[in-house]
Amino acid sequence: MRSRDSAGIIGKLDYKRPGVKALYAVLFAVLVLISLVCLLPPLWLLSSSVKDIKEFFAIPPTLIPHTFEFGKLADTWRELDFTRLYLNTLLLTAGTVVFSILFNGLLGYFLAVLKPSGSRIVFVLVLWTMLLPNTLGMVPIFKNIIDFPVLGINLTNSFLPMWMMAGSNAFYVLIFKGFFEGIPPALIDAAKIDGCTRLAIFFRIVVPLSVPVIMAITIFTVNAAWADFFWPYMVLKDNNMWTVIVAIFNMKTTASLDVQFIALAYAIIPPAILFLFFQKYIMQGFTFSGIRG
Amino acid sequence: MKKWLYRDLPSWLLIVPSLLFFVVFHWQPIVSGFVLSFFETKGYNAVRFNGLQNYIDVISNSVFQQTLVNTFMYVIWSLIIGFLVPIVVAIMINEMANLQAFFKFSVYFPGMVPGVAAALLWTFMFDPGPGGLLNMLLAKLGLPMSQWLQNSHLTIPLIIVTMTWRSFGGTVILYLASLQGVNHELYEAAAIDGAGIRKRVRHITIPQISPIIGILLILQIIGVFQVLYEPLTMTEGGPNNSSMSLMLTSYHYAFRYFEAGRSLAVGVITFLILAVLTAVYFRIDKRANAD
Repeated sequence: MRSRDSAGIIGKLDYKRPGVKALYAVLFAVLVLISLVCLLPPLWLLSSSVKDIKEFFAIPPTLIPHTFEFGKLADTWRELDFTRLYLNTLLLTAGTVVFSILFNGLLGYFLAVLKPSGSRIVFVLVLWTMLLPNTLGMVPIFKNIIDFPVLGINLTNSFLPMWMMAGSNAFYVLIFKGFFEGIPPALIDAAKIDGCTRLAIFFRIVVPLSVPVIMAITIFTVNAAWADFFWPYMVLKDNNMWTVIVAIFNMKTTASLDVQFIALAYAIIPPAILFLFFQKYIMQGFTFSGIRG
Repeated sequence: MKKWLYRDLPSWLLIVPSLLFFVVFHWQPIVSGFVLSFFETKGYNAVRFNGLQNYIDVISNSVFQQTLVNTFMYVIWSLIIGFLVPIVVAIMINEMANLQAFFKFSVYFPGMVPGVAAALLWTFMFDPGPGGLLNMLLAKLGLPMSQWLQNSHLTIPLIIVTMTWRSFGGTVILYLASLQGVNHELYEAAAIDGAGIRKRVRHITIPQISPIIGILLILQIIGVFQVLYEPLTMTEGGPNNSSMSLMLTSYHYAFRYFEAGRSLAVGVITFLILAVLTAVYFRIDKRANAD
């Protein structure tokens, strides 16, 4: 972070003028207001979740709860089986991270380092995949999931479709490719002379040198997988397989409002905690890979 | 041949799974989706070729015209509400000597709320009854209650408010990164030449970050044009189809009416409009850069 006098447009000298001081105060106030708009809705949700049922439905609604009923939190947890929902989401996320790094990484390695004859075509195809809008995917992808090509198996109620989609992310492939191109070829040649196989070079040389990019993609993927809605909703029809997000969407029509609030709070708390701890990395990762998001 | 076998084949073997995933989830779907849009379908399978019949059916549907207009309205509202806000907020945060980290935290925080959760949260706040949070605030200010999402004139702008709430912080962070890269000597030189703050913003800050403004603008247009989850979660296209979007129509055709061919015809139409928009953007961009 730079020191104050070089931070922005308003220079040190300007602050000698009263008008500029007032301007700064106004900007500050506006930003405080914007912060409130950003933070209050989730905070209202959390505070409403602990109200007792009478206060919850009180008119007008209260901002700060007067009553606390924590038993309802436990009941909702048990009723909707949040242990299983969290475990499912965790499993979905873990697989998504592994597939994202492994298969996009290998393809990036193939395009950046191995470069066998014909790899140029693959590069062009991957680039086009990223550039073309995906408005045609819904039906054909669903068809491929319920009747997997050649194998003919039905992958409904399995995490595999989401994992495989994560393993074919054109944007990540290009990020990996760009990063791997920066690895000095001498390192790879030396390993080749020592008799390393291609796969060994990938895991022993390329991956250890790519910790920053792997970290960024991991954090980004964890966040995206946690929030992922459409394909989990389409694929996971059995409620034993639901993720948290699928569950809160599906109970929109069935659960009572106070239960929905609590469930929604449970869906927001984990990423919020993640953000509190990894704020810096998450924002860095976003500037790194977020333009597509 | 032997050389290829030793030198290139092992490399290709490494990416077999990756390529398989790309084929099954990206390349085959886009081709078969395009082809299937010209077929009469049963379930998700082609029955027989019927030329442009799906397109004719889709376009002659009484709601289609409204849907097309709505989709453009989503984009226009997202430009009105969501385009300038991140730029202004980023410039403001960049000026802050106090609490800068807190402001960054706050604006990015909604981005951590999963999209469907954010849509539901705002649906609760937009509750049209007296128990809704926003109606309570209106009452406190002495204003009449609003129907919010139930008012068909407000539906699209309010959905855009929800989307902007969730995503503008990320955009702010991107602009901030770009603002930090502006050479500070430019501001000092301008200040010495007597340029006021407004002039510095107009003649230094904006031109310096304009490349990223252009990229984010086109990405925003492309993204919002494909809006699906928010209306699906918040209104299901209602009231009276006033928030129906092209992609939601495509979704409804595919999974509510099981008309795969029509769903894909809508997909192709959306695809073509996006292609035209992108091409126009690059044409303008090129001309602007040439001047």
